[in-house]
Amino acid sequence: MPDSIRPSEAMELICAWHRIPPRRDLLNMFGLDPQSRKQYREMSTGQKRRLHLALALACDPAVVILDEPTAGLDVQGRAQLHEAIRRLRHSGVTILMATHDMAEAETLCDRVAILVRGRIATIGTPAQITSAGLGETRIILRTQKNCLLPGRDIGGARFVRQEEDYGTWLCRDAAASVVALLQEVQRAGDTVEDLRVERPSLEERFLELVERDAS
Amino acid sequence: MKALMKHLLIQFRMDIRERGTLMTYYLIPLVFYLFIGAVFTSVNPLVKNTLAASMAVFAATMGAVLGTPVPVVKMRESGVLRAYRVSGIPGWAVPFIHGISAFLHLLIVSSIILITAPVFFCAGRPQDYTAFFLTLVMLLFSTIAIGMLIGAAARSQSMAVMLSQMVFLPTVVLSGIMFPASMLPEPLRMLGRLLVGTYAMEAFSGLAYGLATDFSAPWSILVGACIGILAAGLAMLRFRRMGKSP
Repeated sequence: MPDSIRPSEAMELICAWHRIPPRRDLLNMFGLDPQSRKQYREMSTGQKRRLHLALALACDPAVVILDEPTAGLDVQGRAQLHEAIRRLRHSGVTILMATHDMAEAETLCDRVAILVRGRIATIGTPAQITSAGLGETRIILRTQKNCLLPGRDIGGARFVRQEEDYGTWLCRDAAASVVALLQEVQRAGDTVEDLRVERPSLEERFLELVERDAS
Repeated sequence: MKALMKHLLIQFRMDIRERGTLMTYYLIPLVFYLFIGAVFTSVNPLVKNTLAASMAVFAATMGAVLGTPVPVVKMRESGVLRAYRVSGIPGWAVPFIHGISAFLHLLIVSSIILITAPVFFCAGRPQDYTAFFLTLVMLLFSTIAIGMLIGAAARSQSMAVMLSQMVFLPTVVLSGIMFPASMLPEPLRMLGRLLVGTYAMEAFSGLAYGLATDFSAPWSILVGACIGILAAGLAMLRFRRMGKSP
């Protein structure tokens, strides 16, 4: 947008060329004040991105394509844009988004396609993708007396590393492995201080696919 | 038409908010006019006869040739033109609106000069106001077209400034706005005939003020307009080619 344009003017301009009344509701929806006298040059990167999104939606497109929408944004700007994208998604608009941020894809997308060397390596819901492949769940455990350290494989859980007092195991059947680990702690007369169960992230799955492709 | 008017209104307001544009459209031409009116008219009283015309040529050339190309190049470089295109705004509309907005601003400045010159500096009034405005329209159209051509052709802002200066400085020296072109050596006079400003000064002098001219005043309007049409055509071609590139 030109440096000296105001958000409301940008909206009026786009709507005028599409022969529709100015969509001030979209400016409100994306947290931009339609009465603001702020010029484009004075807006933050996050506000600019939200304005672009509002302008792109002015003529009610069926599909919106977003290329790295949160790249270069600060934490607050990123959170606000995520919220805007979520609202857009709930309003029924199809969003096609390209991102390098796997956490973003995992939280915002219904379906994800992972591209490796320009080809679709896998496609599905985030849950489908993360549960495919090695798909091992991570169990991180700390006990009072460190009875499980130095670590060993227990039941279906494979010990992978120790970081300070925390031991990390990987497993396929999280429920059975957690039970096995807790039974072992009980047998040793120890007490659990911290227990975390993390399913594989999209990022790990992505790295796994890249490694597989390289080998 | 409604979209075009809305776009024009927004562009006009944006131009007023731009410090650089305000400087080249209003501030520098008016300060220069006040300086010339106050100082130069006492050095050379003959300047008073056509002060409004010569300062209108200065203001138009300054605003159109120095003022319009850089924002156009900036719009291209920053991707604004492309953003407009993908937003459904026709490619031709952006330079067209930009040109019309510049036309209106420079018409305002020229009118301020025309109204105030006789009051402030006892400058001569045009005998024929219609001819004055006809010449002014030709001058504004042609200089803005040249400005747009520079904006469309220059690869960078610095190149645009350089090209603009190549038109602006000779116009100040050779077109007869500072001193009569007849005082110049023949080669420089010939060079001056490549400039719209020269034809505008001839047309102002001959048609609006009823003074003697070096060559036919009506033909001057025609030649000046032809230069403008040629520049506008080339600029349009360049913009159209830009519109096709991704």
